[in-house]
Amino acid sequence: MTVAVPTSGDQPAGAHSFEEHTGEVRVRLSAPTFAGLLVEAGRALAELLADEAPGELQAAERVDLRDVDRAALLVHWVNELIFLSETRKRVYSGLEVRSAGDREVVAEVRGWPASRVRTAVKAATFHGLKVTQGPDGFSAEVVLDV
Amino acid sequence: MSERKGERKPVSVPPMERVSEVVAEVRKGARPDMHVPVRVFADEELMSQLLRDHSLEQLLNVSALPGATRQALGMPDMHEGYGFPVGGVMGTVLPDGVISPGGIGFDINCGVRLLSSRMRADAVAKELPGLLHELSRSVPTGYGRGGRLELDAEELDRVLEGGVPYLISRYGLGVAEDPAFIESGGRMPAADASCVSERAKQRGGDQLGTLGGGNHFLEVQRVAEVFDAKAAEAFGLFEGQVTVLIHTGSRGLGHQVCTDYVREMDAAASRHGISLPDRQLACAPFSSEEGKRYFGAMSAAANFAWCNRQALAQRCREVFARVLGAKAEGGLKLVYDVAHNIAKVERYGNRDLCVHRKGATRAFGPSNPELPPPYRSAGQPVFIPGSMGTESYVLAGNDASAEVSLNSCCHGAGRSMSRTAAKKVVKGDQLRKELEGRGIIIKCSSNAELAEEAPLAYKDVSRVVDVVERAGIARKVARLVPLGVLKG
Repeated sequence: MTVAVPTSGDQPAGAHSFEEHTGEVRVRLSAPTFAGLLVEAGRALAELLADEAPGELQAAERVDLRDVDRAALLVHWVNELIFLSETRKRVYSGLEVRSAGDREVVAEVRGWPASRVRTAVKAATFHGLKVTQGPDGFSAEVVLDV
Repeated sequence: MSERKGERKPVSVPPMERVSEVVAEVRKGARPDMHVPVRVFADEELMSQLLRDHSLEQLLNVSALPGATRQALGMPDMHEGYGFPVGGVMGTVLPDGVISPGGIGFDINCGVRLLSSRMRADAVAKELPGLLHELSRSVPTGYGRGGRLELDAEELDRVLEGGVPYLISRYGLGVAEDPAFIESGGRMPAADASCVSERAKQRGGDQLGTLGGGNHFLEVQRVAEVFDAKAAEAFGLFEGQVTVLIHTGSRGLGHQVCTDYVREMDAAASRHGISLPDRQLACAPFSSEEGKRYFGAMSAAANFAWCNRQALAQRCREVFARVLGAKAEGGLKLVYDVAHNIAKVERYGNRDLCVHRKGATRAFGPSNPELPPPYRSAGQPVFIPGSMGTESYVLAGNDASAEVSLNSCCHGAGRSMSRTAAKKVVKGDQLRKELEGRGIIIKCSSNAELAEEAPLAYKDVSRVVDVVERAGIARKVARLVPLGVLKG
């Protein structure tokens, strides 16, 4: 089942797909920009978590991350959304990445209250992770521990 | 847009040599970065299954960890994970060998505990539906669900450092003899709550006494067969007996501890001169500041997991007494509690090793002094849950396991199929009917989640256990079959 996720501001369209992995979930991501790649990762996470129609988005929360490179930032970003989801009991589908550099991400995220989740996601991993930039933009594969 | 595909890079198989019918080895040098050989416990059928995914490649990566010694070991239930494969075991030589959070996993001290009753299953057959109903009402399940035991910050720190003995003395959640029947007595003394981030405490602090989701479960079982009468007697098991198996871990607290330290060690790798084939194997020397702090935090999370299973066991004891009344006389005795995802400092010969077990169970033989006196003739109990609706096994560790497998054993049947693939070939509602048709009571609200854990998605647990026995790691004691399952 695909869950409709509200569009997120002016981020260019990206795509995500779920790939085969024996024990976990592997997500393939692509987007014209790194900021778009982060939004797409958030959409994939929301799709995994959401087990009901999206509710009303709550107040925006600021996310400000620093890390050693883009791969680490991608993992850090997904883990931040997992942390917020679990502690606030929300699914975050309102994702506005204000800036995304090689070592820093600033974003505003909005979640809706979820009574339960479909797939429990523990964390994003570095396993086999590469963020690559090509003529069509950015792509990455990230394994999530579920 | 979103779609699901099946594309993967091809699995590369290194040259393997058969050591025996159930042991195969990849020699050191098959890849230039290997520090030690790779050894896998599998017969031909299990080998053909594990070569379908990238688990062997992941085990080769593990053999490249600084300080690795003996062999990187793959248990018979090994399958692809991240960093370490699930079913991977590796020892590093202390003090300067590394500790890797990725070698333990996000669910620190995910594990199982077995409780035994004095009741025969046929004597309580009529009460079972009510018992399972009450268990499903009393045990919180699912992602992010909080428990009934809410602790303030100071109390949480005391639980993290005091483990099960503190939980019993402070809250009365158990009986005085319980800790003797838990690995490490239900408390790792290295636990340091100050090494656990506030975020980790915030994420999991209210989850004590909760089952969680995924493949976690609580199962009411019947002892269907006894293989080793002497060991079964030592463990207090007999044919026809009602038992309870609980599978869960350290919940969000442990997940966040791993997240925090993978990030910290990834950032510090170059400072320690460590280069890795997979960043999820991020590690630091055990003796380094990062290594010491991670071990303190991991130990605290491990204590939290033991306390979680202790709280759940106590809940089961209460429900059994309430529903079954006089029939439950004698209560539920803790047979043993073992960790699946943990690092332990253990002595082998004249060296201390940091033994990483990721989806693997410790399996001490009878002569190990850590075993409680009643088990010193039998060996440590090892529990091998099958997939949902199938049989589980109780094993007993052999002394030979120290040399054969770093005192380690498999932890389950092991997945052979992804969750996505399982849902394509198994219909949850049909599976539910099939299991209920066999008299198994299923408590799981989601048919999709049921399908993910279908028996078809797992290896044959009997074959896995057979390999363990033939390799000399542990021996079969009893076979348990499900009467009712509460799925997390």
